[in-house]
Amino acid sequence: MAAGALAHRAEQRPAAVRPVMDYAPPPAGSYALHVIQYAPDGDVVGHDGKGHRLAEYTRGRVTLLSLIYTYCTEPTGCALAYETTVELRERILADQRLHGRARFVSLSFDPLNDTHEAMQAYGGAQANADAALPWHFLTTHSLRQLQPILEGFGQDIEVERDALGRPTRTISHMLKLFLIDRQGRVREIYSTDFLHPEAMLNDIRTLLMEEDARR
Amino acid sequence: MRQHPNLRKSAVAAALALAFCGAVLADETCNSPYTTRLIKGQEDFVHVWTLGAEGVGDGSDKLVTVDANPKSKSYGKVVHTLSVGGRGEAHHMGFTDDRKHLWAGGLDNSKIHVFDVGSNPAKPKLVKTIDDLAKKTGFVGPHTFYAMPGRMMVQALSNSKDHGGATGIAIYNNKGELVAKHAMPTGEIGGVKGDGYGYDLAINPRKNVLLTSSFTGWNNYMMDMGKMVKDGEAMKRFGATMAVWDLKAMKPKQIFSVPGSPLEIRWSLNPKDNWAVTATALTSKNWLIKPDGKGGWMAKDVATIGDPSKIPLPVDISIAANGKGLWVNTFMDGMTRYFDLSNPEAPKEIYTKKTGKQVNMISQSWDGKRVYITSSLLANWDKKGEDNEQFLALYHWNGKELQEQWRVDFNKEKLGRAHHMKFSAKGKQT
Repeated sequence: MAAGALAHRAEQRPAAVRPVMDYAPPPAGSYALHVIQYAPDGDVVGHDGKGHRLAEYTRGRVTLLSLIYTYCTEPTGCALAYETTVELRERILADQRLHGRARFVSLSFDPLNDTHEAMQAYGGAQANADAALPWHFLTTHSLRQLQPILEGFGQDIEVERDALGRPTRTISHMLKLFLIDRQGRVREIYSTDFLHPEAMLNDIRTLLMEEDARR
Repeated sequence: MRQHPNLRKSAVAAALALAFCGAVLADETCNSPYTTRLIKGQEDFVHVWTLGAEGVGDGSDKLVTVDANPKSKSYGKVVHTLSVGGRGEAHHMGFTDDRKHLWAGGLDNSKIHVFDVGSNPAKPKLVKTIDDLAKKTGFVGPHTFYAMPGRMMVQALSNSKDHGGATGIAIYNNKGELVAKHAMPTGEIGGVKGDGYGYDLAINPRKNVLLTSSFTGWNNYMMDMGKMVKDGEAMKRFGATMAVWDLKAMKPKQIFSVPGSPLEIRWSLNPKDNWAVTATALTSKNWLIKPDGKGGWMAKDVATIGDPSKIPLPVDISIAANGKGLWVNTFMDGMTRYFDLSNPEAPKEIYTKKTGKQVNMISQSWDGKRVYITSSLLANWDKKGEDNEQFLALYHWNGKELQEQWRVDFNKEKLGRAHHMKFSAKGKQT
């Protein structure tokens, strides 16, 4: 795909519709985030366009991983994941104590259209490997590589069909973002109604406080 | 959800479809709404979690699937049954967040059966049985199954120590592995002491609130009803509280005195609303739970259901998708009642119809046009003899009256006692 078209894809990202948050979240460290499951490993196309293991992006730092596709137009879907993560990025970068301890990962569930180049274009200026807070936009080489990762996360997707039963280019999915600790364990899962940046930041802080207490 | 501007690569699209296409499930307003693909059209199937009854068919608990598509040749007929072996007091069910699986609990054996209803909703398959609830949590009687992202909240009714009403909430991941457990509050908060009992739960993410209600323990719900009502001590052992929890922290923040065993909890599904309703079984009241204007919550008795002095026993409620109406089934008199909830502070009972000799669960379609009713409360609480009707019935609601469309006789079909219902559909029905 031409560079211009890729840039257009990023520009076409719809404005997100935020879920209402009408509460003060409990203070970081005042509650427990239980281990829900282990984050799966698998082969991915890394931030540099080369083959990597997903575990390289889900271990060693607190990771917020979203499963998306670049041409998703749902305001409460991938666009919301992107905008929420952008806001979280601003909040984390505003606190130097959090620098170097977290990362973001956006992984496509459509390897056929979302090439490495497409993912970098989608990420735009947010796609970076900065030490303070990297945000990696990843894809996979094939459905064969992708499927066990989706199954491991419990991410359900479905290609919608037209009136004649033919597959369309619309992929139905439940938006899910996974908060993963340094050991690669999923500690929180957010769907649309739970994407409250202030509460998510407290969750990240809670995991970091847990790490600090263990040291 | 989204569209691609570029329709190229049809072969690739087909490959994606082959890899990921699955059935889509329908919705009704009693589910956790925090699931994928809420469907608001015509359901194709109604799955009924059915208690096995001695001498009736194979006598086992089973998932019964009934064709609910009016265009189908088998409309209103049983198209599939799946026995799980034995009788464990089948009771309630709930979809996982991806709506691929239906978790169904047994109040007596504490087993949780996981059915695959996504692959082919016409023929559910039993894919897993979770039997570690009592061993790992000390809770027994898994009642409510409420989907959260990637996991299931399971509200239990009792405990393995004394089979009384003290119990808790278990959190499982979607693979069926226990994540956490939380005891119901027994201490005093705000001057009200928790009774430790549980029944239903429902959440409001906008407010970070979990609401819970309270029923009774195994000793009572497995006792013959006639015997129990004559047992003064047993009748004292019913829940009389609701609790407001900090959902994120899973910590109780408030406890309300709600006498008479508050059962099902329904938040208004109108995104502009922040209130919930429940009905008390023994005192026959509708209660409203709403913000108190001071940063907390309050519970308020807002209406009577039938004649409370006759103990009609409201056992299930179903809220309209717009939050403007509420169906209530009262078991003892077999009545189905509709409340105008336009003003949730003052619900008005505006329609009543006898729909059976005993009625229990009630579920309406998202558009409110169809209302399904089943008959069984608990194996030992159901009526005896000719009054022990067992059925699934479909009614159409035109806004003024219920019109029966069909009724499956679960006794005649040798199926058992019809209890909880969930809907599914073969295609996207938005």
